Amino acid sequence: MDFEAVKEIIVDTLACDEEKVTADARFIEDLEVDSLSLVELHMALEDSLGHSIPDGEIGKLQTVQELVDYCNK
Amino acid sequence: MKLLNEILGTRYPVIQGGMANIATGRFAAACANAGAVGLIGTGGIRTAEELRNEIRTARELAPEKEDGYKPVIGVNLMLMNPATDDFVKVCIEEKVSVVTTGAGNPGKYMADFKAAGIKVIPVIGAPILAQHVEKLGADAVIAEGCESGGHVGEMTTMALVPQTVDSVDIPVIAAGGVADNRQFKAALALGACGVQIGTALLASPECPIHENYKEALLKAKGSDAIVTGRIGGTPVRVLKNQMTVQYLKQEKAGADKMELEKYTLGSLRRAVFEGDVKTGSLMSGQVCGQLHDIRPVAEILEDITQM
Ligand SMILES: Cc1cc2nc3c(=O)[nH]c(=O)nc-3n(C[C@H](O)[C@H](O)[C@H](O)COP(=O)(O)O)c2cc1C
Repeated sequence: MDFEAVKEIIVDTLACDEEKVTADARFIEDLEVDSLSLVELHMALEDSLGHSIPDGEIGKLQTVQELVDYCNK
Repeated sequence: MKLLNEILGTRYPVIQGGMANIATGRFAAACANAGAVGLIGTGGIRTAEELRNEIRTARELAPEKEDGYKPVIGVNLMLMNPATDDFVKVCIEEKVSVVTTGAGNPGKYMADFKAAGIKVIPVIGAPILAQHVEKLGADAVIAEGCESGGHVGEMTTMALVPQTVDSVDIPVIAAGGVADNRQFKAALALGACGVQIGTALLASPECPIHENYKEALLKAKGSDAIVTGRIGGTPVRVLKNQMTVQYLKQEKAGADKMELEKYTLGSLRRAVFEGDVKTGSLMSGQVCGQLHDIRPVAEILEDITQM
């Protein structure tokens, strides 16, 4: 999944401003992710990737770029 | 569909909410003896040994009955509590029957609970969270609507419960807004297998809150149970009083968290133990408007659950 695809999922689930979703944007500080939206993001990514993501993995990632890297591991 | 009492072996399909500082071992035992699941709230508990004592007290006060009925005791864990790892260990060592979880993700503890045969029932405020904890292995969920007292989410019980029932295969317990038989039946009609009750059980002689707090509950109208902390992201439903009105004013004016904390610091304990109804935090659900008498827990439960 490339940056744009991940960005689309983030914008979709968080309903945040597209322009805020830069590679080094931080989930909690910049995108205001809370516990509910974190789970929403987790589930949306699982749907797109087509496989399950272990519990707690997404919460360890701090920036959008880290998430993109994680999705392409 | 199996009802909660069939799943957990209680007399009634009811869980007594694990209310911080209020749901002591003694109160949990009273509710368990009366036929509900009695929960010990860990919100005000600081050490593992304190929790162990509360569990043992509950066990002692709620022994097996002559007719063979075994009162069911559980623990409510607030997962953001730094002592949670230790609390989990105590729950397992003391072999409690049920654990309900709030404020966080129970995934990390699921395997240990399963191995110990403890049922894990997370409290959720949105259907997607129910799906998430179902995948982690939760045995059931408590779908808590924002009518309830204490920390609240966005969705109402009426909207949340059927949507949760539709999105998971595990049993769903309704919480928030149940204080009489009509609401109990409505919860079952929405697809719930039982209910969790908080506010209605506060108006009982067994409940250890200060008399002033009880009086305030009996006096309150449904519209007096307001939500503070919406803006700051920690919404809590409490009775309107000097403290909460001031808090809301400051919150609207844009006061920061530290400033707001001055109002709430220690305020739950002030309400519960000292009966300070002016500046204490009197957590209550909207059903406070239906409470008119102080009645024994057994009577409250029997009335609510008439079939
Ligand atoms: C005074 C008070 C304190 C509460 N504290 C907690 C708590 O510490 N942990 C928890 O999971 N739920 C807590 N709750 C929520 C209850 O467990 C229960 O879900 C809720 O009260 C149900 O809604 P009701 O108040 O309309 O009956 C609290 C509720 C009240 C009224």
